[in-house]
Amino acid sequence: MTTKEMAKITFNLVVIYVVGGLIMAFVYAKTSPIMFIKAKEEKEAALKLMMPEADKIAVLGDWKPHDKHAEYYAARTCGEIKITQVKDEKTGEMKDEEECLNPSDIGYIVEGFGKGYSSYIHVLASVDKNFILKKISILGHGETPGLGDEIEKDNFLNQFVGKGVDNLVVIKRETEDKIQAITGATISSRAVTEDGVRNGVILLKEKLLGEVKG
Amino acid sequence: MSLQKKSNWDLIKNGMFGENTIFRMAISLCPSIAVTNGMKNGVALGICVVFVQTMVNVTVSLLRNFIHPKIRIPIFMLIIAGYVTIIDLLMATYARPIYKEIGLYIQIIVAFASIFARAEVFANKNKVWSSFCDGLGMGVGFLLAMIVISFFRELLGKGELFEYSLISGNPLLIMILPAGGFLAVGLLMGFFNWVDMRFFGGKGASGV
Repeated sequence: MTTKEMAKITFNLVVIYVVGGLIMAFVYAKTSPIMFIKAKEEKEAALKLMMPEADKIAVLGDWKPHDKHAEYYAARTCGEIKITQVKDEKTGEMKDEEECLNPSDIGYIVEGFGKGYSSYIHVLASVDKNFILKKISILGHGETPGLGDEIEKDNFLNQFVGKGVDNLVVIKRETEDKIQAITGATISSRAVTEDGVRNGVILLKEKLLGEVKG
Repeated sequence: MSLQKKSNWDLIKNGMFGENTIFRMAISLCPSIAVTNGMKNGVALGICVVFVQTMVNVTVSLLRNFIHPKIRIPIFMLIIAGYVTIIDLLMATYARPIYKEIGLYIQIIVAFASIFARAEVFANKNKVWSSFCDGLGMGVGFLLAMIVISFFRELLGKGELFEYSLISGNPLLIMILPAGGFLAVGLLMGFFNWVDMRFFGGKGASGV
């Protein structure tokens, strides 16, 4: 191979990769801020859905299930909402700002991860003040389509309503007080129930009851 | 080259039937098993593949005089990966509900043998318009194969089509498991070969 040919090949490769890289960087720069905002809005909407009667959802702290970042929240109602007029510094317009007075906790929400068949399943669970489950939702997962993804269906998720930590056990037949596994997706069912939700509720109990006692 | 004499319609038809990616060439079989357990997934992935296959063919064909033959493979890889990344980002931003369903599969388009093979065999040697038709034909051929396979698998395995329940009673669970994918692809491949031999006088062998 002559020097000229080597230079030509190098030039060819560099030009195409730089151009390709620039195009991808451009698309990423354009899309990622929108993606970030949308993901944040989706998370807020998901939290709101977990506890529709709450006026305010506040972050209490974070924990690390399976080395992933997850948070837990308190859902609060306001005893009184004080509205003050604040001047927006950018636009100069007056706008209302709500302030929550005398908040009281009506329940808690925990984010968790369960190790499933082919992915970590990202769950949200809300409980009332006695740590009885109110609602479960699956935020994301990479389980087998057609089998594992049945965990997103209501007839699986509705089983959780009204159950406490001790009832969060997966069994393979019909059951009233425990959780029935999805046919063909026992591992995914276990991951949601025993790994994701139960560990989340246990964490909430430790943190909240521990604080009250201590 | 004999392919150049073919009309554009012949090129499209060739991709759809004569050299159908899955049933005739028997390449890109991974997604045909992994993603075809429901019509919705199969069709969504098929549409993404039509887009990537066509765009990669056009790009490779446009650049064919610039790409040095010794380094064509890394360059094809960049072009394919670039288009896949762009669709992935655009869908994650502007089509989030659909992305949540099929986002998992978009990234695997990078590893599709059929896209790579057409860039190497066809687009690298032919004009832009012919390459466009070839890519479109191959992509639509793949889409058709995905539709046929997922139709049978979802219908038999879950008794549903597009998640709309049609048959009550116990479905054949095996059809939506990987084993059922092999069965469905094998039987359909055999069926299409039989049709080809019986009615069109083909030799019936997959591949060459």
